[in-house]
Amino acid sequence: MTKKTFWGFTIPSVFVMLLLMVVPLVTTIWLSMNKLLLRDIRNPEWIGFDNYREVLGDEEFWAAARFTLQFVAVTVPIQMTLGLGIALLLDKVGRGRAIYLAGLLLPFIVTPVVGTLIYKDLFDRGGLIAWLWEVVTDEQFVITATNVKWLIIVQSVWAVTPFAMITFFAGLQTLPGERVEASQIDGAGYWRKLWHVTLPHLRVLILFVALISIMDAYRVYDSVFVFAGDRFTDAHTLQVYTVEVAVDPQIGRVGKGNAIGVLNVLGIFVVLIPFLFVTYRDQIKERN
Amino acid sequence: MGKQSWLSKFGVHGTLTLLVIWSVLPFLWTFQTSIKFTRDVAAKTPVLWGYETTSSAYNSFWLDDGEINMWNVLLYILAVALVAAAVATIGKRVQRGWPFFVGSAAVIAAGLWQFPRIWEVETEYEFLINSIIVTVLTMLISLSIGLLAGYGLARYTGISGAIILVVALGFRALPRSAFVLPYFFGASRIDRWLEDSGVGTWDFPIIDFPFIDELAILDTRLAIVLALVAVNQPFTIWMFRSFFMDVPREIEEAAMMDGASRIQAFRKVIIPIMWPAIIATGLFTLLLAYNEYLFVRVLAPTEWTLPVAIVSLTGGESSRTITEAAAASVSITLPIVIVIILFQKHLVKGLGAGAVKG
Repeated sequence: MTKKTFWGFTIPSVFVMLLLMVVPLVTTIWLSMNKLLLRDIRNPEWIGFDNYREVLGDEEFWAAARFTLQFVAVTVPIQMTLGLGIALLLDKVGRGRAIYLAGLLLPFIVTPVVGTLIYKDLFDRGGLIAWLWEVVTDEQFVITATNVKWLIIVQSVWAVTPFAMITFFAGLQTLPGERVEASQIDGAGYWRKLWHVTLPHLRVLILFVALISIMDAYRVYDSVFVFAGDRFTDAHTLQVYTVEVAVDPQIGRVGKGNAIGVLNVLGIFVVLIPFLFVTYRDQIKERN
Repeated sequence: MGKQSWLSKFGVHGTLTLLVIWSVLPFLWTFQTSIKFTRDVAAKTPVLWGYETTSSAYNSFWLDDGEINMWNVLLYILAVALVAAAVATIGKRVQRGWPFFVGSAAVIAAGLWQFPRIWEVETEYEFLINSIIVTVLTMLISLSIGLLAGYGLARYTGISGAIILVVALGFRALPRSAFVLPYFFGASRIDRWLEDSGVGTWDFPIIDFPFIDELAILDTRLAIVLALVAVNQPFTIWMFRSFFMDVPREIEEAAMMDGASRIQAFRKVIIPIMWPAIIATGLFTLLLAYNEYLFVRVLAPTEWTLPVAIVSLTGGESSRTITEAAAASVSITLPIVIVIILFQKHLVKGLGAGAVKG
């Protein structure tokens, strides 16, 4: 394909990405150095790095950063292990697989805010789990600032595990039959086969799922917003905190919000840059 | 797998069943709340069996009180059925599927449009319409430009292709909060210009835009669609590219040898075999647009789609009852469940394809 044809095909998409991703990112950096209020969105005022100084001295920011890290560190390993386990189980099932899949996929496809709302209903007063809790412990179950973090984590595992599961499941379908047979002839048991044949086959996928899960967990918004809302500001993640700072009708500090936004981007770059570098190398290799 | 013992088989199915229950439990719970009377929901011990069912929660969420004229309803159903039958017949006559799809879409759109004349509906109906419009437009724009770019990126071997792909991958990872604030700012800037220059209130002499009194970006469905198309582009081009990599070059080269241009070969030869990829990518785009919350909340303070409507209408100070909130949750989830059941294979394949090669 000639260069001209290539640009002919890609220009609409590249134009959209330039206009609506590159330009906004540059705008964010510029806005983050301005004093800008939501009420007065049309009049930014240059203040240099003051927003950053304020954010970095802000206890709420660090609390949000800590909870975000905790959230990523807990949910990602659990969802991956669980996802892999379920994929291995599904792989053993012949008949009825489609039904299991449909049920297991449901939390993944449901609108996240709705998924969170209905999950929360189980724990609210009159909910099934709140009632069971009361029966077992004889105490009323109340959502508090301490347990809400764990509820967010459990709900999140519920919602995102299907992604890991389905990806690993797809990977298992491409496991070459002869390698499995070879290991069976060698007399390897299930666990040895899993360790020496299946897992190495899934290695690339495990890395892929880990990266996507880290990125998605890092930018979680919907479920935390619904669970914590204004009531439990301790359980705000970075994204929720950013948006609340910027678009709250009363406070509405867009400039400061943008500064946090820039810090968010820098934060994910730590994970992202090695990954992008590897992808770039692969792309170049593919072309030679 | 024939040598599996009875015990291990039982174990596998048992564990999976438990996991499925864990997955669907909130859905079942919400569904049974939505069809109960309020007194049963408020009971100290949950009434799990033998309660009276009612559709009143659905009625009061979607419909205004008021009498339903059964004749109108019958006429409505008859009209939709007749037009649908006509479209199906014509669609069969005309070879190639697209007139059929366009026709069916038109019938459904007309049906939805006329619906409020038969039932007195609540404002929630507008949010449903907004959701449909936003989802359909996002899918159309996102898929068409993504399809072209994915093809170009799969076939071109120059370095700029690699750079676009890597930068797009970087964009895919960035949080929404980095985009939503500049969008908001940019849109309000443009709106100010439209207002000050008077362009926004122009009376266009020939085209009379329906539904638009004043040209603006903020708080319109257009703002949501543009934002969604943008954040969805990186994913779309990667996904399409990985599907196009599986299509052997020889296919279009043969067509081009026969005198077809690159565009003709793309349209006549490549697109027809790409339908599974288009459906798979389309499903993810559909989920993204239909489920979006943050962009709508910030960019469209009153032109809500269903997710924002449900959070706002069922949250704290609202007077909605628990059963109505549950009915709303079920109503918003049902369309996706149907779509996913119909296209489950494509979804699984799409996730697999994106993952195995991406």
